[in-house]
Amino acid sequence: MFSYNFHWNQAFKALPQMLDGALVTLQIALLSMAIGLAVALALTLFRLSENRVLSGFATVWVEIARNTPALFQIYMAHFGLGSFGIHLSPYTALLVGIAFNNAGYLAENFRGALKAIPETQTRAGRSLGMTPLMAFRYIVMPQMLRIAFLPATNQMVWAILMTSLGVTVGMNTDLAGVTQALNAVSFRTFEFFALAAVIYYLIAKAVTLAARLAATRMFRY
Amino acid sequence: MFDTALTLADLGFLAKGAAMTLAVTAVSVLAGTILGVVFGVLRNQLGTYWSLPLTFLLDIFRSVPLLIQLVLGNALQSILKLGWAPFTTSCVVLSLYTAAYCTEIVRGGISAVPTTTRRAARSLGMTWWQDMRYIVAPLATRVSLPAWIGLTLGVMKDSALVLWLGLIELLRASQILVTRLQEPLFILLICGAIYFIISFPIARLGGYLEKRWSND
Amino acid sequence: MKKTSVLAFGLVAATALTSPAKADKLDDIISSGTLRCAVVLDFPPMGARDESNNPIGFDVDYCNDLAKALGVTAEIVETPFPERIPALMSGRVDVGVASTSDTLERAKTVGMTIPYFAFQMAVTANDKSGVKSFEDMKGKVVGATAGTFEAIALEKTVKEWGVGEFRPYQTQADVFLALSQGQIDATVSTSTVAQSNVKGGKFAGISVVGNAPYDIDYVALFTNREEYGLINYLNLFINQQVRTGRYNELYEKWVGGEVPSLSINGVYR
Repeated sequence: MFSYNFHWNQAFKALPQMLDGALVTLQIALLSMAIGLAVALALTLFRLSENRVLSGFATVWVEIARNTPALFQIYMAHFGLGSFGIHLSPYTALLVGIAFNNAGYLAENFRGALKAIPETQTRAGRSLGMTPLMAFRYIVMPQMLRIAFLPATNQMVWAILMTSLGVTVGMNTDLAGVTQALNAVSFRTFEFFALAAVIYYLIAKAVTLAARLAATRMFRY
Repeated sequence: MFDTALTLADLGFLAKGAAMTLAVTAVSVLAGTILGVVFGVLRNQLGTYWSLPLTFLLDIFRSVPLLIQLVLGNALQSILKLGWAPFTTSCVVLSLYTAAYCTEIVRGGISAVPTTTRRAARSLGMTWWQDMRYIVAPLATRVSLPAWIGLTLGVMKDSALVLWLGLIELLRASQILVTRLQEPLFILLICGAIYFIISFPIARLGGYLEKRWSND
Repeated sequence: MKKTSVLAFGLVAATALTSPAKADKLDDIISSGTLRCAVVLDFPPMGARDESNNPIGFDVDYCNDLAKALGVTAEIVETPFPERIPALMSGRVDVGVASTSDTLERAKTVGMTIPYFAFQMAVTANDKSGVKSFEDMKGKVVGATAGTFEAIALEKTVKEWGVGEFRPYQTQADVFLALSQGQIDATVSTSTVAQSNVKGGKFAGISVVGNAPYDIDYVALFTNREEYGLINYLNLFINQQVRTGRYNELYEKWVGGEVPSLSINGVYR
């Protein structure tokens, strides 16, 4: 029944290469998260604005990001945009795809968080002479970010997991790409991917732990 | 863009792909939910300490990319010579993946039921099972349903990854048509639209339920 | 799983004490009545789909011939390039008829037959890229199908050049899609695939610009490493395909032109 012999030393020999890939994975996840947060804030403001074009744009973005597969979004960023002559390298396409997805989900998180902040606070701010933007910046946003921090941590883990989809658009430097390249040469699928799974797990746990530590520092009073 | 070589038969091919997506999703969500409820209750009964091994195991499914899980699942079943079809492998992996998330949702739902309510039920002479069935289940379902709908949609979208194992689901069907017809943008847009049409109404329903049930 | 497993169990039980009889894979295929072949279907002209999305191609015909020789019916199982081996290991397919290069690295995992086809490597370039030969690819963005013979060779070349970028795509179709969109400047692929894609006229603005100086890519059928009985049968089958002229016939039908030799001068296999 168990005629397969494991060749673990092949996988361990490739460990340095895979760890290099893990760094690229982490880098893309962090960058996509930074871009995603910035865009999500903009989208949240758009959705709050009276301007129908802006709020419509934001709604369309959020709904597409949340209602189509991430794999589809990344594939579109590479081959879909390619039809228009816009050429993104696999790295950029992957980054754009994940950032697009992050922004959509984070904007939705922010919207949920906003509901928990009483409208009266903004009004109080306004009556103190703040502009709407100032009221948002100094009263609403800090609370919103605080409430949305835990869901954002989850999104960060998601971003790490999503980087693995880069292999479908020719990415070969991130962890999944390196693993797949090693697998293609030797066909030792299980060994390489099991090792990759362990590395992904450790990255995800490290990020969660770091976020939790950051949260206790930032949000104590 | 409207000058296309796409035929009615090709649209049928896409529909067949969409049916495969839905089939994989239905099986996985069903099995995953049953497992999730069992694990969720178990974790609640055992307490944090004793359920640690289970928590750890399920956590793996939430911390490793689904693509890697699918490849590993497929490699493992091949090593064990189980001879599963890609459909079976996909469903098994996706079910466990769903179960991992569902467990969290169920656990959250159960712990949202006030302890006092449950004590009251028990002091009325209800058995543990009656308490679970008539008190906890209705209340927890109410809390968990929106999140569960979100999970179902998530699994539906994530199921696109089973194309890696050779299953011709919606996205793979689109890629096959792109290969033959060379109209990537048009076909991919149709593919995206189909996903959207399936997902959006259900997502809206989830949002509606969440709003309605949280206001009373 | 196998219809005959009950019968087989009875037989095994009856003979267990006297002799360790065991049906091998060749027996399994013949008694099951079905030969399941792993074929890559985005690799024209070896494997492709017709208008009604049914499998066609050299490899598809080859599998049908093999099934006929065995007296069973053929079942084509589509496998993407990276899924060929897992499909075999998991018992989903019996034989790979999937244009698989017989590298030594792979032979550690699966059993390779003698070559049943040979590819010449060709360079196809996007007309706008200015790539006119293999050497012109230096410093450009190039791509190939992940895990193939040519991808491994090309990646090595790009590393040796030290400039430019290599991108592995998961399917041959994605490579040509990326090439026609200008995402990559050039690709190295088997000349058959290159010709078929360029001649097919589906991709605008790409042309075959020359050969790549790589070894001839001999491809083999493959099955489980320990199935010597089946491998022997497959070797003889390949020999017979050439001997009877069927190989030439299929080559003419799907590729055309000079038929590549499957033997190597000066050495036995």
